[in-house]
Amino acid sequence: MGNEQTKYPGLPPLPPPFVKEFPPIAVVVEEKCIACDRCPPLCFFDAIIMENRPEHKYKRTAVVVPENCTGCGLCFEACPVDAFLWTPDKTAGSGPLRAAQETDKDMDV
Amino acid sequence: MSLTTRFLGLTLQSPVFVASGPASHDVNQIRLAEEQKAGAVVLKTACSDKYEHMRSWPRPRYKLLDWDKQIAGRSKSFSLYSYEQGYSGTLEDYWEFIRVCKKHATIPIIGSIFADDARDWQEMAKQVEQCGADAVELDISSPHRPGSVAFETTFVAAIKIVVKSVKIPVLVKLGPGHEVVQQCLVAEEFGASAVSLCNRMRGFDVDIESQRPILHGYYAGIGGPWAKHYTLRHVAEAAQEIKIPISGTGGVMSGEDVIKYVLLGASTVQILSVIMVNGWDSISRINAEIEEYLTRKGLNSLEQIRGKALEAMTSPEDIIRWSGEPKAGARNDWKKRGME
Repeated sequence: MGNEQTKYPGLPPLPPPFVKEFPPIAVVVEEKCIACDRCPPLCFFDAIIMENRPEHKYKRTAVVVPENCTGCGLCFEACPVDAFLWTPDKTAGSGPLRAAQETDKDMDV
Repeated sequence: MSLTTRFLGLTLQSPVFVASGPASHDVNQIRLAEEQKAGAVVLKTACSDKYEHMRSWPRPRYKLLDWDKQIAGRSKSFSLYSYEQGYSGTLEDYWEFIRVCKKHATIPIIGSIFADDARDWQEMAKQVEQCGADAVELDISSPHRPGSVAFETTFVAAIKIVVKSVKIPVLVKLGPGHEVVQQCLVAEEFGASAVSLCNRMRGFDVDIESQRPILHGYYAGIGGPWAKHYTLRHVAEAAQEIKIPISGTGGVMSGEDVIKYVLLGASTVQILSVIMVNGWDSISRINAEIEEYLTRKGLNSLEQIRGKALEAMTSPEDIIRWSGEPKAGARNDWKKRGME
């Protein structure tokens, strides 16, 4: 069921469990990357670059630039081999912002 | 033959705009849009200080539903499920952003703003004008907007005051729904220069494994190639009622889609999802597809076919109909089947 129905599950349906503590950013599992070049142009924040890796099977790999990543999730969908994972950005200073803390129920319909 | 389009007193190299959103939040993207020969760019929406929380964004922000990676952006049925929010900087940052865009861009730059208080709308629209934007779009219909603001009160007041306060053209971006033509008429009556039809719908999806709504447990904006069909309808409805120009937007993946909007009366067309899934060169590809069509049809410009399909529209009473017999009508064979 669910993700197993498709060959490429893409972005997980729920945010990673640590989302309440740290902002998620994407990270590339370099061993999985096939250096297909699909993710860098898709990223609207210039957060993915291709780097040379002479020892890598494809000689290159995609790499996330953590400081540019906004955790939007689009790269997960661009990747044909699901080489992206979430990782907590522990360098982020403050805690998460919630609309409810700032205005009263503004997000209600 | 040329794609040159006149819109709100501006001369555009193409009717294809980059819509407000993640492809218009940064100066470098304006350069990309220009290289690809977009007609104009609508900058990402800035929210008033009251909605400062909308400058922070949920993570993740997007999920592609029914997305088949093997055919990717060639798919005609995926949905881009999004929690898009406002411009991430302060208003001061946004004004500076407009100034820098204008300094470097040769294509028109349209500012986009959201507020609730009429004075905020006025102040922000004036700033957009002072920073040199060629027009301002009032984003009164985002699927992510707070629910406490309603068209009849907040937004009508916003349109009135902004139109009085600035000399640049004012576009009003409306959401899909049965009330859209009425809202177009109101926008026109109060002096809007054009309407953008339509914003994304608010939608929802559930993960059946965890039995929870996907992503952040709240409604999201949904759009995708399928969305053009309801927007095409709204453009057709509006084009028959209003005289101000329409900027069509929703589900455009190809030049064919742009031509459909124009045939139903749109002057310009805004695109975004297609850039997200198929890249920036989607703009030049769409331009080339429109040119190919114009050549094939022996046309000089899209202006020659604007609204042409509306002429062939009919009313329900005039639709040619035939009897549903024999299976469903008077000769239905229940008697023969002993079903009396």
